[in-house]
Amino acid sequence: MYRLALNMLFGDRAKLAMLLCGLAFSALLMAQQTSVFFGIMSWTYTPVYNIRAPIWVSDPMVEQANDAKPMRDTDLYRVRSVDGVAWAAPLHTSFLQARMQDGNFKLITMVGIDADTFAGAPAVLSQGLIEDLRLPNTVIVDEWGAQLMGRVTKGADGKEVVIPLKVGDTFEVNDLEARIVGICKVRRAFTGGPFVYTTYDRTKQYTLGARRTLSFMLVEPQPGVDPAKLCARIEADTGLKAWTSDTVIWSWSDRSLARNTFWWFWKNTGIPFSFGTAVALGLFVGIAVSGQTFYSFVLENLKYFAAIKAMGAGMGVIARMLLVQAFTAGLLGFGLGVGMAQAIGRAMIEKGMPPFIMFPQIFWATLALVLGISLVSAIIGIIKVSRVDAATVFRG
Amino acid sequence: MSTPPAQTVAVRTRGVDMFFGDGETKVTALKQADFEANRGELIMLVGPSGCGKTTLLSVIAGTLTPQTGTVEVFGQRLDGLSQEELTAFRRKHLGFVFQSFNLIPTLSVLENVMVPLLIQGASHDVAVTKALAMLAKVGLKGREYGQPNALSGGQQQRVAIARALVHEPSLLICDEPTSALDKDTGAQIMQMVRDLSRSPERCVVVVTHDHRIFRFADRIAEMEDGRIRRVVEDAGLLDTNHL
Repeated sequence: MYRLALNMLFGDRAKLAMLLCGLAFSALLMAQQTSVFFGIMSWTYTPVYNIRAPIWVSDPMVEQANDAKPMRDTDLYRVRSVDGVAWAAPLHTSFLQARMQDGNFKLITMVGIDADTFAGAPAVLSQGLIEDLRLPNTVIVDEWGAQLMGRVTKGADGKEVVIPLKVGDTFEVNDLEARIVGICKVRRAFTGGPFVYTTYDRTKQYTLGARRTLSFMLVEPQPGVDPAKLCARIEADTGLKAWTSDTVIWSWSDRSLARNTFWWFWKNTGIPFSFGTAVALGLFVGIAVSGQTFYSFVLENLKYFAAIKAMGAGMGVIARMLLVQAFTAGLLGFGLGVGMAQAIGRAMIEKGMPPFIMFPQIFWATLALVLGISLVSAIIGIIKVSRVDAATVFRG
Repeated sequence: MSTPPAQTVAVRTRGVDMFFGDGETKVTALKQADFEANRGELIMLVGPSGCGKTTLLSVIAGTLTPQTGTVEVFGQRLDGLSQEELTAFRRKHLGFVFQSFNLIPTLSVLENVMVPLLIQGASHDVAVTKALAMLAKVGLKGREYGQPNALSGGQQQRVAIARALVHEPSLLICDEPTSALDKDTGAQIMQMVRDLSRSPERCVVVVTHDHRIFRFADRIAEMEDGRIRRVVEDAGLLDTNHL
């Protein structure tokens, strides 16, 4: 009977198309919006992701990775003296204005790293050498920044063309020259400003001699020392706050700076509500369109279901037929919707924004929700058919 | 009505009352309806609209349970069965031909005929084999894979007959089988039904208003006000003006 149930479904192409449109749209909206949401939220802890250090130490009042409350340089020595610390390096982060050659200003995130160890330096450089940061007035810019801060000119066809920054180009930060010695590949920041790396000591010049420039300390535990336990010891010994740097969203610990950053943005911004609304909309649209279309499909076939009942099919058989029809439509709609979400996501990734991360959990959750929509639709149909009297087949 | 020997009786109702609603809206459809049909017989139920033909047919088919009285089909009492048991009984012993064919338009002719077999739990291959043989028997060889809507009214009713008989039911229930057909096609269909009824293991009950097909009946039971008024063997004895 199930094969016939499927043939009944596929035989009514107009209804099937409508049903698939509703389910696919619902799956697309839920999967795409959730993936963009997690993409955007992953940008919130970009500093932790880009700067791979086992432990981060900050001022005790710091709540998340983008919230730098400068400490005294002497705090670095206190941390280094904690039992179990192999090394500790300073890190500066601040938002500054960069003045370009054409006079335009761009917001940048300046990152000052330890010139001796280069702890916290970008892992991949597409141009230049990290060691050149030791030369005077030098910086490394990320690829996004090279594009964003590039020179705009007109091409042969009259259209605007951006010529990205390259090694050797210069700009100014607080009237001080910044000469590019490298272009790096890093994940983009939630704040939108490109990352500009320089040495920790030089950040004092670029920030016009700020009294405190120590935003974070990057700490490596001695071999065999558990990072979480070392964090607790650092906090106990120094009164500072210590974080682990695990960024894997499904397994991060309570001490994770990434986790705390994620939840800080969750609680303090309207992002989850905004995306949650879109996901809920997808769910409701799916239920409404698919439920209505499937109900309409059942209504059109009601007299045939009544005839099948009269011929001796129990409600169990008919219910299973309806479930097979609804779940088949659900699976097809899910495939179409998630396929479209993936295609849009790929196009997004190529363009660089908005960020798109489809975790396996999003895939499975979307499947579960779409099948839930199908189940609701099937139940509506089953209720309708169960109320039909088999004797109605004799009433014309 | 004389009582034939029990082994020859296919369908028997005794003292069947059936009413719908209650209070002022109460409608009595059957009043002490006594009816009998024999094995190997094609019997027609006739009467004016609202006389209770369709209700009696539904009671015999086990799709309606009467408030009082007994219903017996091929030796099985239906009046005490649960809904599940009635469903199982219909599945095994009954075939239906409906007024509006009720062929599922999104299925092929072959698939429509397979439905009763699949409901019975037959495998797909067995159902295909039996349905193909039945379609050949009703003269529809070569039309198996087309859609029902592409067939003429007469051909669609043949498909319905094939569907009603493919699982070899004992009792064939036909509800106005010729109302949507022209005279010649209706005659062809009734000849086919009559031929198929000629088996001691089968009985055909036909509800109809169409006096053109009365000649195909072995007996005709005339209903009036929820009762069997009389049973005749010769259609000429009926006053067709008020039917």
